Amino acid sequence: MSGKKKEMELTLFELSKYLGVEQNTIERWIRQGKLPVSQKGAVYRFPISDLKKWAVKRNISLNLEKQNLPEREAAPFVSLSKAVQNGGLYFDILGDDTKSVLSASLERILKVPREFKTDLLTRLIEREQALSTGIGNGIAIPHPRVPLGYLNDPLVAICFLETPVAYQAMDQQPVEVLFFILCPDLKYHLQLLSSLSFCLRDKSFTRFLKSRPDPKALIQKIEALQTLNTF
Amino acid sequence: MQTIKNTYKAIYYRLFQLDDRLLLIVAGSIAGICSGLAAVALRLSLESVTELLHPLRHYWWAFVLPAAGALLSSLYLEKISREGAGHGIPEVIYAVSRYGGLLRLRSSYSRLIASFLTISSGGSAGPEAPVVMSGSAIGSNIAKALGLNDRQRITLVGCGTAGAISAIFNAPIAGLVFTIEVLLGEWKFVNIIPIAIAAVAGAQVSQAIIPEQVLFNHQPFNMMVVDILPSLGLATLAALISVLFTKSLRKIGRIAKKSSLPLWGRVIVGGCAVGVIGGFMPLVLGEGYHFIQSMISGSFSMGLFMTFVAIFAKIFATGMTLGWGGSGGIFAPCLVIGSLTGVVFHKALSFLLPSIDIASEGAYALLGMTGLISGVMQAPLTGIFLIVEITGGYETILPLILVSSLSCTMSHYIEPASYYLKDLIERGQFMRPGTDARILSDLRLNELVEIDYIKVSENMVFRDFIEIIKSSKQNFFPVVEDETDIYKGVIQLSTIRRYALEPGMYDMVFLNQVMDEDVITASLEDDLQDVLDSMDLNNMDTIPVVENDRFIGMIAKTRVLDLYRRELIMQTNIQ
Repeated sequence: MSGKKKEMELTLFELSKYLGVEQNTIERWIRQGKLPVSQKGAVYRFPISDLKKWAVKRNISLNLEKQNLPEREAAPFVSLSKAVQNGGLYFDILGDDTKSVLSASLERILKVPREFKTDLLTRLIEREQALSTGIGNGIAIPHPRVPLGYLNDPLVAICFLETPVAYQAMDQQPVEVLFFILCPDLKYHLQLLSSLSFCLRDKSFTRFLKSRPDPKALIQKIEALQTLNTF
Repeated sequence: MQTIKNTYKAIYYRLFQLDDRLLLIVAGSIAGICSGLAAVALRLSLESVTELLHPLRHYWWAFVLPAAGALLSSLYLEKISREGAGHGIPEVIYAVSRYGGLLRLRSSYSRLIASFLTISSGGSAGPEAPVVMSGSAIGSNIAKALGLNDRQRITLVGCGTAGAISAIFNAPIAGLVFTIEVLLGEWKFVNIIPIAIAAVAGAQVSQAIIPEQVLFNHQPFNMMVVDILPSLGLATLAALISVLFTKSLRKIGRIAKKSSLPLWGRVIVGGCAVGVIGGFMPLVLGEGYHFIQSMISGSFSMGLFMTFVAIFAKIFATGMTLGWGGSGGIFAPCLVIGSLTGVVFHKALSFLLPSIDIASEGAYALLGMTGLISGVMQAPLTGIFLIVEITGGYETILPLILVSSLSCTMSHYIEPASYYLKDLIERGQFMRPGTDARILSDLRLNELVEIDYIKVSENMVFRDFIEIIKSSKQNFFPVVEDETDIYKGVIQLSTIRRYALEPGMYDMVFLNQVMDEDVITASLEDDLQDVLDSMDLNNMDTIPVVENDRFIGMIAKTRVLDLYRRELIMQTNIQ
């Protein structure tokens, strides 16, 4: 019985949540006689049926059935180490210009379905023509400008070139490591890009990278760096 | 010559434009006279045609008469004047609150003709609402001809209404009170004088043309202290019948809407139903003024049980007439049902307590009418003053006030909205001046939108964008397609802050990769109420306005609040 009664009435706190105002405001409304309220001593209770009538009359949208207001869904998150695990490391990529190294790398990356590889290659080349992704220090981050719907999970594939190639990088140095960022959604892309550029700012990380580490060690290093990066 | 012209202009300006009271009084009395004429014309033609059709009532096929009349009336509205059926008062209220009382010239006669066809053939409906519609349309069009503004036009719409009601009942104060209580919803000093004069003008027209007011001639009634207790009981009964009447009218109308019959089929079914009931009980037919008259004068001859049945027969017949496609109002049916209620109550009381010495049956019929008007229209003052004027004295004022206020309060408790306003409230069109809904509907989106926004190209590199941010105060940047200028999305500084602090990304990202594409947008035609609701639902403080794929500007809640306040001041401070 008491449980049923509780359902029929709201407390001051609940009502303030529903109406989106402070409790002080509701107390003032009660004082000014603007709200239907049943008062027991110092405790205010708001009968739901009266509130509904009151809201209808005043054209207030008051949805009391919906107990939980829709939370804004949290943005999906992926960590760089997870994406690298997903993408994998590839060594000794052959090629002597931008196009050939991109093509050779794509051939090796396992997670990209075969039928999409030529399409992805043209997109990557388009992106390089718009603005080189060589960020300097022998590193480039090739990526397409549109999300790739056919991928299940975001991935970062790291390809080590056998010989450094000229890449129109910002510092004009030849590039020897390629980070492919391939994502089904733009949100992942920005996250991965931002974590990657955070890692690459670390001098010891780039030095470690150039030593062509084995995948396990690299992922451990990335995880260690990620803890420093707050997001 | 020039000086005469200048003097005329100066006088005109001083008399009419600087202070429009005189102008409103003159124009208002014209509106009152015209609508009074319309009311008298409808009443006289109704009387004569009802008389003409009277001999036909004895034939067995008389039950098709209401159907034929309603069919003609709905055909007229549908095919010739192209206006919806219904009584028209909600439409006038909506026009007053939304369009400054703008009504079509056509409305000044179309409802008159339609309701004339419905009622004269026997349909159970009232001529008051059509006359109000016509009077207010006359007022509105006089205002249009004089080139008046919205506020003045609303006053003239009120003048037309008051003239119509006071002419049909020969009751000027009831006309004034009805206009202000039901139609305009605000007691403003500037309105009251022109409306009062128009009401008197309407009543005078009616008296001049119909010298002997057969309708409700004055009757003295003696109500004593002993009548107070019974009138409390009558008030309760009247409130119950009011709610029943309102609810069944709407219910019967909904059934008609659900049925798969075409319009003409519905009208015929409704009309025949009324005709059949009328065959057994002629009281339900037409507007019923004669029966009200006989009940007031005490010459009503039906027994207790039959009178009781007649209440429900009249409710049903009115529902079948109005809900199924006929044209007319509920004012006269309210009066009929009210007087029936009063008579039933009186008869029952005398049956149970034969020795009780209470006022006459006629007096209780009047009290019942007040109860129904106050209950159905939730207009207690209209109920009181109409009956005071009909009886021509204040002897009955105490029981009248008791019945009126009690019935209004009780029916309000069960059914919070009056019959006239219920549809408007359901459609979200009920906007009295100074209310939130009214202000939101008056403010247009193009008054609120801020347009001086720097647009950025979707192909811009993030580094260039950072430079723009540095020198701009904007928090939102619309992103557009390069050559076509088509809106693509919007960038909020709050969401890109984390990338803006990461110089490594500056050359890696284009703006179409960081913009939000799924932000809800508004269009200039949208209702502010809907826009604010969707902003609330999505926790937005600012919403982009996009029209034909082009970015127009942004609407911020702070700006809405600012303008809202100014609008409220403007709406509540006009004299």
